Amino acid sequence: MKLTPDQLHIIEISPGEKIFLEGAAGCGKTTVGVEWLLFLMAQGVPASSILLLVPQRTMAKPYLEAMQIPGVSAGGFVAAMTMGGMARRMVDLFWPLVADQAGFARPDLPPTFLTLETAQYYMAQIVTPLLSQGLLDSVVIDPNRLFSQIIDNLNKAAVVGFPYQEIGERLKGAWNGEPEQAHIYEDAQQCANHFRSFCLEHNLLDFSLQMEVFTRRLWHLPPCRDFLNHTYRHLLAENIEEDTPVAHDLLREWMPEFESALLIYDTDGGYRRFLGADPQSAYSLKEQCTSQACFTNSFVKTMPIEALENDLSEILNPESHKPAHRSENIPKNQSDPRTALAHGFFRYYPEMLDWIAGQVQELVQYGLPPGEIVILAPFLSDALRFSIMHRLEDLHIPCISQRPSRSLREEPVTQCLLTLAYLAHPEWKDSYPLSKFDVAYALMQAIGGMDLIRSQLLSEIVFHPRKNVPQLTSFSIINPAMQERITLQLGDKYETLRLWLEAYQQEPPQELDHFICRLFGEVLSQPEFGFHTNMKSGEVTANLIESIQKFRWVAGDQLVQAGKSTGLEYLEMVRQGVIAAQYLRSWETDINDAVLISPAYTYLISNRPIEVQFWLDIGSRGWFERLYQPLTHPYVLSRHWETGRPWTDAEEISASQDTLARLTQGLLRRCRQKVYLGLSILGEQGYEQHGPLLSAFQRLLQQWQTEGEM
Amino acid sequence: MNYQLRPNQKDIIAYQRGRMGVSAVPGSGKTWTLSYLAAEIIANGKLKDNQEILIVTLVNSAVDNFYQRISQFLDQRGLLPQMGFRVRTLHGLAHDIVRERPDLVGLSDSFQILDERETDFILQEVCQAWLNSHPEAVEAYLDLDQDESYLAWIRRDKLPMLLQETTKAFIRQSKDYRQSSEKILAQIGRLPVPLPLAEICLDVYTDYQRALAYRGSVDFDDLTRLALDALEWDNHLLERLQQRWPYILEDEAQDSSRLQEKILEKLTGNDGNWVRVGDPNQAIYETFTTASPKYLLNFLNKPDVIRQELPDSGRSTPSIIRLANYLIAWTRTEHPVEAVRDALNPPFIEAVDEDGQGANPPDQPEQIHLVLNKYNPDEEVQAIAQSLARWLPDHPDETVAVLTPRNLRGFDLVDELHRKNIPVVESLLRSSTSTRISANTINILLNYLSDPQSSNKLAHLFKETHPIKGVDPPTRQRLEHVAELIRKCRQIEEYISPTPVRDWLQNLAQNGEDAQTVEALEVFRRQVRRWQMGILLPIDQLVLTVGQDVFSEPGELALSHKLAILLRQSSNLHPQWRLPELSGELRQIAQNERRFIGFSQDDIGFDPDKYKGQVVVSTIHKAKGLEWDRVYLISANNYDFPSGIEGDQYIGEKRFVRDHLNLPAEALNQLEISLSTDEYHWYQEGAASQAARLDYARERLRLFFVGITRARKELVVSWNSGRFGECQPCLPLLALSSYWDRTRGIEE
Repeated sequence: MKLTPDQLHIIEISPGEKIFLEGAAGCGKTTVGVEWLLFLMAQGVPASSILLLVPQRTMAKPYLEAMQIPGVSAGGFVAAMTMGGMARRMVDLFWPLVADQAGFARPDLPPTFLTLETAQYYMAQIVTPLLSQGLLDSVVIDPNRLFSQIIDNLNKAAVVGFPYQEIGERLKGAWNGEPEQAHIYEDAQQCANHFRSFCLEHNLLDFSLQMEVFTRRLWHLPPCRDFLNHTYRHLLAENIEEDTPVAHDLLREWMPEFESALLIYDTDGGYRRFLGADPQSAYSLKEQCTSQACFTNSFVKTMPIEALENDLSEILNPESHKPAHRSENIPKNQSDPRTALAHGFFRYYPEMLDWIAGQVQELVQYGLPPGEIVILAPFLSDALRFSIMHRLEDLHIPCISQRPSRSLREEPVTQCLLTLAYLAHPEWKDSYPLSKFDVAYALMQAIGGMDLIRSQLLSEIVFHPRKNVPQLTSFSIINPAMQERITLQLGDKYETLRLWLEAYQQEPPQELDHFICRLFGEVLSQPEFGFHTNMKSGEVTANLIESIQKFRWVAGDQLVQAGKSTGLEYLEMVRQGVIAAQYLRSWETDINDAVLISPAYTYLISNRPIEVQFWLDIGSRGWFERLYQPLTHPYVLSRHWETGRPWTDAEEISASQDTLARLTQGLLRRCRQKVYLGLSILGEQGYEQHGPLLSAFQRLLQQWQTEGEM
Repeated sequence: MNYQLRPNQKDIIAYQRGRMGVSAVPGSGKTWTLSYLAAEIIANGKLKDNQEILIVTLVNSAVDNFYQRISQFLDQRGLLPQMGFRVRTLHGLAHDIVRERPDLVGLSDSFQILDERETDFILQEVCQAWLNSHPEAVEAYLDLDQDESYLAWIRRDKLPMLLQETTKAFIRQSKDYRQSSEKILAQIGRLPVPLPLAEICLDVYTDYQRALAYRGSVDFDDLTRLALDALEWDNHLLERLQQRWPYILEDEAQDSSRLQEKILEKLTGNDGNWVRVGDPNQAIYETFTTASPKYLLNFLNKPDVIRQELPDSGRSTPSIIRLANYLIAWTRTEHPVEAVRDALNPPFIEAVDEDGQGANPPDQPEQIHLVLNKYNPDEEVQAIAQSLARWLPDHPDETVAVLTPRNLRGFDLVDELHRKNIPVVESLLRSSTSTRISANTINILLNYLSDPQSSNKLAHLFKETHPIKGVDPPTRQRLEHVAELIRKCRQIEEYISPTPVRDWLQNLAQNGEDAQTVEALEVFRRQVRRWQMGILLPIDQLVLTVGQDVFSEPGELALSHKLAILLRQSSNLHPQWRLPELSGELRQIAQNERRFIGFSQDDIGFDPDKYKGQVVVSTIHKAKGLEWDRVYLISANNYDFPSGIEGDQYIGEKRFVRDHLNLPAEALNQLEISLSTDEYHWYQEGAASQAARLDYARERLRLFFVGITRARKELVVSWNSGRFGECQPCLPLLALSSYWDRTRGIEE
């Protein structure tokens, strides 16, 4: 790769330097990071002594790809991890040293690390009884989101670095509404306290406890420090503005120990603020470095895009707007922002989607690779994702969606497997009344070549919930005319499945994940069955098995002690939506050259410059607002908010305006050629849309119109 | 602009700032004038960047009407048509305010607003559960002097509904007072005497709110209350919104509620710009809602309010105007119940000056028919149908409507008109036609998919997706033939999913069926297979998939998108629901047990002039704002229009409740008492029921007034003796009839 002199200068800076590199998106910082890493290794530095610290695992991708080049990665592997990953690894390694002093009830027993899902499960177990006692009764929210907000609060306390006992007080101090409502924060605190006590009592470590044990205890223990200092001699910290204050604190103390370091800071970042990101504390690390560099030239933006960014910024953020530097020598027609913007305004939402699909088709026909197009929305509802993908697939344009998979209870394959699990476990009869529809849809998927009509005919005859016990009867006792309608071939396959389920019932009960493994391996994946050579079904089955396993490892022992079935408990949690098992795997495996459909923030964080962006639904307020959650608050629970200071509408608006300005700027800095705006006056739900981004563009268009007339 | 403003309109358009109240009469062009005023303010450059005029009106159809008119006026002035204003219903405005800062009122950003059907369903469940656990509690209110089997039926079938009706009114009013159940309970605890009905309602209120919170949802009353809370709690938010909306124009202000007034009062501040326009004589939404014309009347009388009138109306013939004015005058001076004489108020309606625009239709006093013949309900329907059958052929270019006080009477008439092959438009009785048709199409599809082996349902689906209306006769014949072939296919799997040895369509082709029919069946088969595969998708995605296949109009597609999201919400709320239940949910939409914002032209506004030569059947409520050449006002008896005199009957007083008590009214009275700080304000059983009779009589007088003022040229009013044959003509009809006999329309 050809590097600029500035980039080369950083890479070849004398060894032992600790460099702080800042710059806006698209100015070549990550390229420098990759080359710096390769240069170190080329100098004989063992890869295993290099720590690559990223705020989110996906951000390590360019580095990991670079190291896949044969011969690059000598001397082990570069440790690419997040601070959370490191915390978990250290706690696991040094558990005996820390368990007792951290307050765990059974330091003699190993720790159990909770995933987000299993934490959610325990939170549900702990908080549900409190809710029925009237706690949090004035909060209007569905219980699953309530649980996740309490978890989020604990996580914020851990990554911002304040005692979790202060959550309620901090939130209450900022409350600016009806005073009587403030008690909800005390209730939220109570829930957090109960959860934490439960975790300590049972050696359970959710993310917050992992971080706290690591940063507040282990980090101060010499054996742990020695281990880390000895293992990692070089540091590359990417996108430090997206990391949390405790991560920055730790780096601040750790920096003197590294032989060399490169800290990369995106000047306009901070998009993960809702997860505790703190660009301000990140920037303070600059002082820790021996050398500082700042890149200003974009490799991405064209002049019209730059002019568009400039004009939009003037409207969105007039006070802090700094006109971008434009060369005097460039003819105006080459930097005309109007050439970088197209728009389609419609009354109805689907009209807008049609327009977008049509524009994408045209671009692709003119030779733009689909992988150079991204469709962005503030939120990506299932209906939207489905609608847009459906339209593009109809036009034979490959597309992928950068959003976690459907939740488990919506995945047809999962539903098929769980229905078969209910049928194989008659002892679960009271928990869920299976309907003939569930059975018909399961048979339709499980048996190769089974259509809806025959599966419905079959299930109506063979499925008998007797005394509530779901049962399948034999195909052989059906009258011959009906057998013929269903066909003997399908009947044979049905019998194979039924007999397998029957045989399973005769055996001692097995764990649910084992049951599904066997069902998949012995029947469903076999020739003539529905999952045979169906990769998607295999993937979903694997996800499901993994999710059940994790659940069992964490909660199994306790459930067994309580006389409950782990499998049934898992099914119940899936049904209630507590466990969603949304996997990122599907989109992590890149489909090359496909149109990307993504929520705007997810795209920003993935750091991927692109030729053309579609901004969909620009009337939506989602472009402007943070996620409003009544029990948590990203700004109030940050380091920069003084406890007791009320959070007013003025703060809210200023934060939202800043967010919108940053978001649009971030997007434009990742766009090379053109932005297409899609608007429907009536939004997805039929409400009229009047969001600030729409107003800004209306003003911009009006301004251009006036300029054009002058 | 070619339109010449009338002097009264000029006075209103000249508005500059401050508070102004306009009292208008039916047909005086309120919406037009208000739209014109909005366009004037925008065109005069009184708004800064990011400022808008806020227009608040009553119903969704009016929202679009305003949008179109203002945009048209702006367009004529060379301005961007959609900019500078926002039109909202109260609920729409409340939604906008709460959406600004949901966290401020304890909501997450994904909060749901449940519509009335869903909240009724929740309330019904809560009431039933409450009755199950307190079977004796309501006994004290029953008329126990009945035989046991009758009482058992009442307890089983009627009591839950009455409890639901009572608690619904109680909860709504409590929310209007912004009182939680805990607060009211604390107040009741301080009172020396028990208020048993209020206590029952409070129990239900508590459970109902818990059920909403569990769903992460609010109802429309919560939404309004929370909007005001947000404005009161955060001054910065209030200031920001005041800055955004420097002018507020309120239409239909006679139906304003306490909370609506408070919200607009807050938004306009002490010296803000607020124009309220309404006709207090058309306030017809008051019973057990929180709306009242008193807010507009009080506003008009405030010293700092510029008071204007729009008394001239070009709508009706002089005879009809005289009749309407006589109703006002008679009510104010001669109504036998003095307490209701304030139901109707001046201004009287004035015909438009001859030199002005839009002069009234020429007088036809002979076309006023105030029919005093005693009909039973069936006879009345027959008589109207016969009259229409005579009238329609002679008036193909005129419009006609039959207005009824209640839906049920309208449906009876619609059935009769269908029997007589008289073209009838019933969309005002139900949800709008195309909303219904679109929902119905998807419903038929889901219904088939839940029973895929049914050839009848598949044939029905084919017909639904291949309408024969407007196609040429050969195509029509072929489509009917294809549908018939499908219906006769006994083993439908052999058509949709054939095997190599059993292929119904192949057999058909081999047996000489014509190629076009086979082709149509083949295309349909491919579609059906796609839909059958879609069955495994979540419901929203299934609906989106089929919607793409069966609809082509943008409005229909948008509707299917909305239906998809609605069904997804229902499915999340009821995870055990499968296709039959979800299809049932859609059926409710299709049959109009559930109204929601639609997307079609019909939903946007009803234009009577599009239905010349057809009979529009509507309730009087739905006919508000509309006009027809000939109007029939039926059922004008003392049950539908009681006057507060001896012998009148009241819909709110159930026969099985003792002492003619109106339980919702009594419950509301107990609520008032519990919140009152006046120590001499105590509960006296029955007083509220009596007062409710008078309130109802007032509202019904206004409803009668609205009914007769829908007519441009011809008016027929009739009555019937009711289900039990006990009813009499209502007093207003008798009064008008006597006036008409005396004067034949010549002013006295």
